[in-house]
Amino acid sequence: MPRRFLTVEDLQRSNAREIFVDGDTLLTPQAEEWARAHGISIANGPKGYEPPRPDRGPDAERAARSLPHLPEPIDAEMGSGLVVSCAGRNRPGVLAEITTAVGKLNGNVLDISQKMVEGYFHLVLMVELPPGTSFAHVKQCLECLGGPDDYVVRVMHERVFRFMHRI
Amino acid sequence: MPFTDQEILETVRMIELETLDIRTTTLGINLLDCADPDVESACEKIYAKITHHAGDLVAVANSISADYGIPIVNKRIATTPISLVAAASAQSNLVPFARAMDAAAKAVGVDFIGGFSAYVHKGYTNSDRALFESIPHALAETRHVCASVSLASSKAGINMDAVNHFSEIVLRTAAATRESGALGCAKLVCFCNAVEDNPFVAGAHIGIGEPETVLNVGVSGPGVVRSALARLGPDADLLAVAETIKRTSFKITRMGELVGREAARRLGTVFGIVDVSLAPTPAEGDSVSDILELIGVDRTGAPGTTAALAMLTDAVKKGGAMASSSVGGLSGAFIPVSEDSGMIRAAETGALSLAKLGEMTAVCSVGLDMVAVPGDTPASVIGGIIADQMAIGMVNHKTTAVRIIPVPGKGPGEKVEWGGLLGTAIVQDPGRFAAEVLRGRGGRIPAPLQSYKN
Repeated sequence: MPRRFLTVEDLQRSNAREIFVDGDTLLTPQAEEWARAHGISIANGPKGYEPPRPDRGPDAERAARSLPHLPEPIDAEMGSGLVVSCAGRNRPGVLAEITTAVGKLNGNVLDISQKMVEGYFHLVLMVELPPGTSFAHVKQCLECLGGPDDYVVRVMHERVFRFMHRI
Repeated sequence: MPFTDQEILETVRMIELETLDIRTTTLGINLLDCADPDVESACEKIYAKITHHAGDLVAVANSISADYGIPIVNKRIATTPISLVAAASAQSNLVPFARAMDAAAKAVGVDFIGGFSAYVHKGYTNSDRALFESIPHALAETRHVCASVSLASSKAGINMDAVNHFSEIVLRTAAATRESGALGCAKLVCFCNAVEDNPFVAGAHIGIGEPETVLNVGVSGPGVVRSALARLGPDADLLAVAETIKRTSFKITRMGELVGREAARRLGTVFGIVDVSLAPTPAEGDSVSDILELIGVDRTGAPGTTAALAMLTDAVKKGGAMASSSVGGLSGAFIPVSEDSGMIRAAETGALSLAKLGEMTAVCSVGLDMVAVPGDTPASVIGGIIADQMAIGMVNHKTTAVRIIPVPGKGPGEKVEWGGLLGTAIVQDPGRFAAEVLRGRGGRIPAPLQSYKN
């Protein structure tokens, strides 16, 4: 019989030592513990019981299909790009430090812009990452450059800027 | 370069200096299939379903935060109103349901779970009544659970019996959480025209028309609007002010749209709505009151405040509507008095009164929010305040809410420190007069003529 949940009460009612349920039946933690304590084996497949994937409902599949068709803002050619912005006190070797770090992470600098105001620099790099690179790792590596009295680096996904500044 | 330096700087500044963030990603979970005649089984199912669906919510939100460099402050859960789920159990005490929700929220690591709720705008079911009676203990016993009730709607009118009952529940909740300064009442709200996809607590829940699971996003950003208006200066005319707010709201909402799409994709669920609300925090600068003062009132609460707030709320909605086809929830400007440093200042200096707050309700996104009153305020006065707010919502076809906190042992003008996001409240004076006869009549205020549209 298809059922959404298997509870302690269900186990108490059934008296069976072995229970086989549908693949998408959810075993409550209490029922799992009760079964273990009373030596009842529960299975929903050949490997015993494995929690099913969350059933997000009948609308979820259509939503997943339609998401890629939602228009994205223009300038989408960059793909997995990131925007690196740095600001701080200027000194020899700052640009080299940052671009070396980007290079070590296999990032490709697509564009660069630097402005100087009274001994302080502001630098923006557009960087393309090879497919499959972990954005979080790159962000962590770049943002630990510099320091409180030197310069700070901020890394953000270019999609944020596209959503915010393009229609 | 596809973006100008100015655009890049603007975004970085919004996040770094102007406290722009995604205030909440809220996963709505339908619990109707958890109904069971046996209360323990129902609670088991609720715990199992919430932890099963929301188990990866916090991880997904954090991964989006890391991948995009956008702060996502809160992760929350909204459920089907528990009075509907608990009806099959025929219990008079629904506290076990709140415990199950609380345990599930703790297990998945969210800060709040909304949905200990009931719709009673036209009348009670037995389960609704049981839920009302369970609220004080449920909120005193649990940490993460939020309760909300719908007392009125433009279509149904105002259920004055429920208003009266709710005002007593507020006082009982205050008494049950006396040690923490009646903090239970901060997790309790009543609505007229309750919004069924609201991602913000305390009113978060998902209505019966919502999907099995749905991901809703609440964006914030009073600090960003404030800074944009500060740069605009006092000489710009009001059209320029409205345009500035609108453009800023557009940008904020776009970030919500991006996060909403991505979170729904990663969770494999439906992207519901972006709630474009300017939601303040006690942090300096993250204030809706500051915006009103920048628009041009000396202190929030001064004459002109309602006009400024009306323009702000409207401009926020217009910018949001252009930015996303999924704008929903409450969307507008919140005015929680204790959570906004500017509002606290205005209340301290006497500029902001309870009467003025009531007036502002007519044009803001919700209503009387986080308003402290003396602990000995009679139920008839609290009921009258709530009825007034419900009437504003009912006649104007808008959502109004009341989150009122009678603080035991405190009198008008005294200060209450709740700390954290809930901030500091100055106890407001509700006046010397009540509405005993109105209260005693009971019954229902009929729906207004404006609602007969069929």
